[in-house]
Amino acid sequence: MNLTLKIWRQEGPEAKGKMVTYKVSDISKDMSFLEMLDVLNEDLATKGERTVEFDHDCREGICGQCSLVINGQAHGHESHYTTCQTHMRSYKDGDVIFIEPFRAKSFPVIRDLKVDRSSMDKIIQAGGYISSFTGMAPEANSIPIHHEVAESAFDSAACIGCGACVATCKNSSAALFLSAKISHLAKLPQGKVERMERVVWMVNAHDDEGFGSCTNTGACAMVCPQEVDLLDITRMNYEYNRALATVRS
Amino acid sequence: MAYKKGLFKTSVGRKNLMAVTGLFIAFFLIIHLVGNLILIIPDSWFPIEFWGGVESAHDMYNAYSHFLVHFWPITLVAWILYISIITHVIDALLITLNNNKAKGDKYQVTDNSTSTWYSRNMGVLGTVIGLFIFIHMAQFWLKYKVLGTEHDLYELVVTTFKQWWVVLIYEIGIIALGFHLAHGVESAHRSLGAYPKGLMRVIKYIALCFSIVMAVLYAIIPIIIYFK
Repeated sequence: MNLTLKIWRQEGPEAKGKMVTYKVSDISKDMSFLEMLDVLNEDLATKGERTVEFDHDCREGICGQCSLVINGQAHGHESHYTTCQTHMRSYKDGDVIFIEPFRAKSFPVIRDLKVDRSSMDKIIQAGGYISSFTGMAPEANSIPIHHEVAESAFDSAACIGCGACVATCKNSSAALFLSAKISHLAKLPQGKVERMERVVWMVNAHDDEGFGSCTNTGACAMVCPQEVDLLDITRMNYEYNRALATVRS
Repeated sequence: MAYKKGLFKTSVGRKNLMAVTGLFIAFFLIIHLVGNLILIIPDSWFPIEFWGGVESAHDMYNAYSHFLVHFWPITLVAWILYISIITHVIDALLITLNNNKAKGDKYQVTDNSTSTWYSRNMGVLGTVIGLFIFIHMAQFWLKYKVLGTEHDLYELVVTTFKQWWVVLIYEIGIIALGFHLAHGVESAHRSLGAYPKGLMRVIKYIALCFSIVMAVLYAIIPIIIYFK
């Protein structure tokens, strides 16, 4: 198939960007979206032009590196897929596709479609961990955990930190990402030790990194590749209020 | 502990304040509605033995409004309500300003199919409601309670709603209110952390029913009076 691509090009963080139109031809419907961009880049490289820069790593939907807002939706219009798992069979011959970077103040553009998502790392560093003794792996059954609790915690832990929630949110809030980690650890016995401090530290870090407030529109959960539940945000609010109401010396 | 920043300072704290004040206002709406449904009681229902043989909607409504003004616990609740509304507005402005700061450059193409239009436009709906409350209070609250220039509230309400443009303004305000509640009541419970899945499912359903019932019942009052 032949496609028209309108891609955001920006030289650097301070430079002014603009949409540039490209034509790609002979695209197979079996290609992934990123492979289609590889074809474009090969074409540009042959012509001696600067290639389009975009983030990618595993290309199998698990690393959270790929980003892109495709036709106005983070990771494209297919619900709960990463960009790398979006395939060209979702598009028709002659389609015009708008490709933009994830946009938020906390996600500055590095170049073209690449954004700096280290603000999310800062949130995790603020409390997205547990304290435990190092050494041999403990015996797996030493802490009994109910199957449903384990499954629920795993659903929250599935977040790959891609930032699609932030890119989609009208307030550029990272609440879904933040709450996935808080819920994951709050649900498990291993996470109980720092339960109170963690939520306050992480919410503070979230705000310090310049993300907005969640207004519960639910758009984030609709695009999340890992289908993290909107209820995790509600759970986080509960954890936060619980921590605020608890006096600790 | 120093790490606790207080209600106005964190993204979650601000939303808590929004939720508490919003839910209080929503609760007030129920009381306000019940009282004002007196206006549309059909004449054939009178006299009502249950209310001491009250003769007409006119007498019943004026007795009710007299009670509201002269019963001190109501005055206290009214003050909590004024404070709630003002706090709700200030907090909304703070949240919106902060959220606007967090936004990056605009997307060239936006696809809004992932959320409802009213959940994205709570500020716009809130502004419409705010303007409506302003007009509403100037028409009744100011004349009857503050200035005391009108003593027959029933007469004042009925004559006001005989003007078509007043009815139109009320309908616009009430439609905005309905949509504001449709997102707001559910969102408030989420902000406060009503996280168990079953509970949230029930709240979602109740919140939707609540907003529809409120909007419909409020909307019919001016229309019925206009055509009466």
